[in-house]
Amino acid sequence: MARSPAGTIALLTLVAIVFFAGVTRLMNRFHEQEKALARHMYAQGLSDQQSGSLDRAVEDFRAALSYDHNNFDYQLSLARALRDSGRVDEAEAYLITLWEQQPQDGFVNLALARLEVRKDSVQDALRYYHSAIYGVWPSDSDMHRSQAQLELINFLLDHKALAQAQAELISLSSSLTTDAAAHVRAADLFLRAHDPAHALAEYQAALRHDPNLVAAAAGAGEAAFALGRYRTAETYLERAARKNPDDAHVAELLQTATLIRDSDPYEQGITQRERRSRLQSAWTHAGERLQTCAQSQPLTNPSNADFAALHARWLELKPQIDHLPPMSEEDVSDQAMDVIASIEQETAKTCGSASGSDQALLIISQNRMAQNTSGADQ
Amino acid sequence: MTPAAPLLTGEAQTPAVPRKSFVDSALNLGAVLNEERFFLIISVFIGIFSGLSVVCFRLAIDWVRVGLLGAAPHAHDWRLLVVPPAVSLLIAILVIHVFPLVRGSGVNQTKAALYIFNGYIPFRTAVGKFITAALAIGCGHSLGPEDPSLQIGASIASALGRRMNFSREKLRLLAPIGAAAGLAAAFNAPISAVLFVIEEVIGRWTAGILGSVVLSAISSVVIVRWFFGSEALFRIPIVTLVHPIELAAYAVLGLAGALAAVVFSHAIAYLRPRVRAWPRTSQYFLPSCAGLIIGLFGYLGAPQVMGAGYQYMDEAMHGHFTWQFLALLVLLKIVATVLSFVSGTPGGMFAPTLFIGAMLGGSIGGLEHILYPHLTGTIGTYALVGMGVLFAAFLRAPMTSVFMVLEVSGSYSIILPVIVANTLAYVLSRTLQPTAIFDILTRQDGLDLPSMEEQREEHVLRVEDAMEPYAGPVLNSEMSIAEANKRITDVAGDVFLVQMRPSGWTSASRDLLRRLVSEGKSDLTLASALPSTRLPYMHPDFPLDSALRYVSETPIVPVVSRADFRTLEGVISSQAVLNRYRVVPREL
Repeated sequence: MARSPAGTIALLTLVAIVFFAGVTRLMNRFHEQEKALARHMYAQGLSDQQSGSLDRAVEDFRAALSYDHNNFDYQLSLARALRDSGRVDEAEAYLITLWEQQPQDGFVNLALARLEVRKDSVQDALRYYHSAIYGVWPSDSDMHRSQAQLELINFLLDHKALAQAQAELISLSSSLTTDAAAHVRAADLFLRAHDPAHALAEYQAALRHDPNLVAAAAGAGEAAFALGRYRTAETYLERAARKNPDDAHVAELLQTATLIRDSDPYEQGITQRERRSRLQSAWTHAGERLQTCAQSQPLTNPSNADFAALHARWLELKPQIDHLPPMSEEDVSDQAMDVIASIEQETAKTCGSASGSDQALLIISQNRMAQNTSGADQ
Repeated sequence: MTPAAPLLTGEAQTPAVPRKSFVDSALNLGAVLNEERFFLIISVFIGIFSGLSVVCFRLAIDWVRVGLLGAAPHAHDWRLLVVPPAVSLLIAILVIHVFPLVRGSGVNQTKAALYIFNGYIPFRTAVGKFITAALAIGCGHSLGPEDPSLQIGASIASALGRRMNFSREKLRLLAPIGAAAGLAAAFNAPISAVLFVIEEVIGRWTAGILGSVVLSAISSVVIVRWFFGSEALFRIPIVTLVHPIELAAYAVLGLAGALAAVVFSHAIAYLRPRVRAWPRTSQYFLPSCAGLIIGLFGYLGAPQVMGAGYQYMDEAMHGHFTWQFLALLVLLKIVATVLSFVSGTPGGMFAPTLFIGAMLGGSIGGLEHILYPHLTGTIGTYALVGMGVLFAAFLRAPMTSVFMVLEVSGSYSIILPVIVANTLAYVLSRTLQPTAIFDILTRQDGLDLPSMEEQREEHVLRVEDAMEPYAGPVLNSEMSIAEANKRITDVAGDVFLVQMRPSGWTSASRDLLRRLVSEGKSDLTLASALPSTRLPYMHPDFPLDSALRYVSETPIVPVVSRADFRTLEGVISSQAVLNRYRVVPREL
């Protein structure tokens, strides 16, 4: 065959174009088939994951990925399945690859954070949680961010990082919307973070959005109780108890709050007579508690000596308390409350935690000590 | 490799005479497109056609696999036991009755085309290789698509070249050009493909060959990336080398890789001729038996050893398997590949080699991490380096092995571990088994193809090895005949060197000088009396072969310094060359 170079090149170009077009068509069919297979395997993987067959889910996700190598969702699902099935190193390898591709992705950062939580790697977990909170979420970004932040707060609380948890909670509460349940979740976490003031505010916010929310009422009562606002606590706890009478914790708190309010000699707004009467009742109750507790202990118990000393002191002051004048001296009252506090603390240590009136007296004495300490500090 | 060193003469080189075979047939573009340029353009088309064919080949493998074994083959699937033997029987019938030339990997067939058959590879071989290798790899035989792709590319190039009426020299070169295109497309790695073809098939570098090979490889890779995307073959984990002491761990990998490569190649070298000696009827069932055993491996829990296994290499790189399982996969894959290959099933050795290397690397990396947790390299890094190690030790292509790892990883930071491990593996495997696997297979097939590895290691004799000191006086061209005669009177020898002005050398015999005196030309200078033809001269580092062309035409050839052509280092004569060649066998 003798053909000119130009003719040869033209012919080869034509053949190449036809060949290329044919291969393109084949390739399109191939890709369609691959995508369909990938989708099928992915759906199967999700189904296996939901039914708890994590190993099968891993295999399915891997098969899906083999047909659609770069699918972000498949990779993320595989990494999650690997993580949940305890193959932390494999999961990390996948997630790091994804993170390198999209370092801002909220899902990837959250998955990596959960992985670091499993590895108990606090600093890395914090880093990935923060990246997730401030990362990019394709949809429902507020909800995802809140969830990530809640997870982070739980993680911090588990690791006793209360100050960091409180800071995150304040940040979270500022972005909460009208979702009462979200406010309750935040409030619960505030309580766990030893921040009853913010907790009470969040419970109250929840109750504003949904006044019938029992959990919010109970939480508000508990927060108010922790703050020493027993009247407020009583109000919320009564509300919660009315709607859920079977809640023993609420009932107990309510009883304690009522007892505190009824027996606190330092309650504001009561008469001198009432104050004296409360002091005398408390004195008598503490003495009985001391005697009962001392009798229940064996003679060899080292705390018996403390009990004896306390009892001696109680006997020493008893005449003065029994005959307190209507305008009693502050000094005697304080001494009496000191003895009551010591008795309740000692008996709680030796004879088990206090309940009922004893618990109320213990709390009253603790509140008084706290007030005295803060007063002294000031 | 023998360097094609240019020989220098004192005169300008004669311009190349245009060839007639092709240019004569050219019409209007003949002046612009000489054969060289046209050859380069055809190289691009070879790359395009090879790339498109390889794309189709990969699609065919995947379709066969999905169609026969399902979307996600897993252990305890009955198809793993039934499909490989059944399809293998069909492959055996096709190989024996329809495509007898498609056995083996394809690398040696391409070399045979270059060195024996003037670049001729029947197009039917490409078709046969396409069908049988797709069936074999798709049904689970432990073979790879790279070597068949190489042969398909070479077949396409050969068929195209025959249509173009190229000269015999060009036709010979077309097969390796197509081979580079096919391999580049299969690996998605043009540099490795070019290096492999240069290192293992052609064995020499020239601008013309390199240009064509590179053009075809690039064209085919562009085509493949158009269809499959430009991502690397594997998702590569982060590669770090924090402390140089970690190189010791990679050195251990190099040593282990060499041992694995030697076991692998010994098994093939031992079994292949014995199996081929079995009765002809057994050849129908050998691929089926191999397929059944490999299917059994898959059925019992190791489907990873079936097919090319790139997906599992990727998983090994990401630490998806324990080191014990990886070690098991090394053993099973060696057995599976040996069985597939010696049974005569068409398919390549590249992918299994990479698979074994990746698993071995991952296994050793995992074990080293348990023993020495401070090692910073991930298991993925070891798997990646392991691939290069096996490539260097088994296929004996050290340069290609390094560049292949760099190309498939896209990471330069892995270079140090790769070089250390590959070099150790290559040196140790050469010591334990001096003959490379491709050379063993060639000799078993009764062919005598040049071994590129042996050529690389061959001791090349140079002019300085045969050069002798010049005993006579160096005459000056401005000297008179009488004076020259006087200078040579008391000196032994019949021929004397004359240094010409401004440069160049010639010679004068004692008889000629005497005759000139007797003719009354004593006062003439040597320059005016002697013929104007200059002697060729050589440098000490020239290959001794090149001296043979000149020592037959002139009694002595001056050997001069490269720094100063007027400084005589010695002379070389035909007797000296022959004497040197005679002592070579004793030295070797």
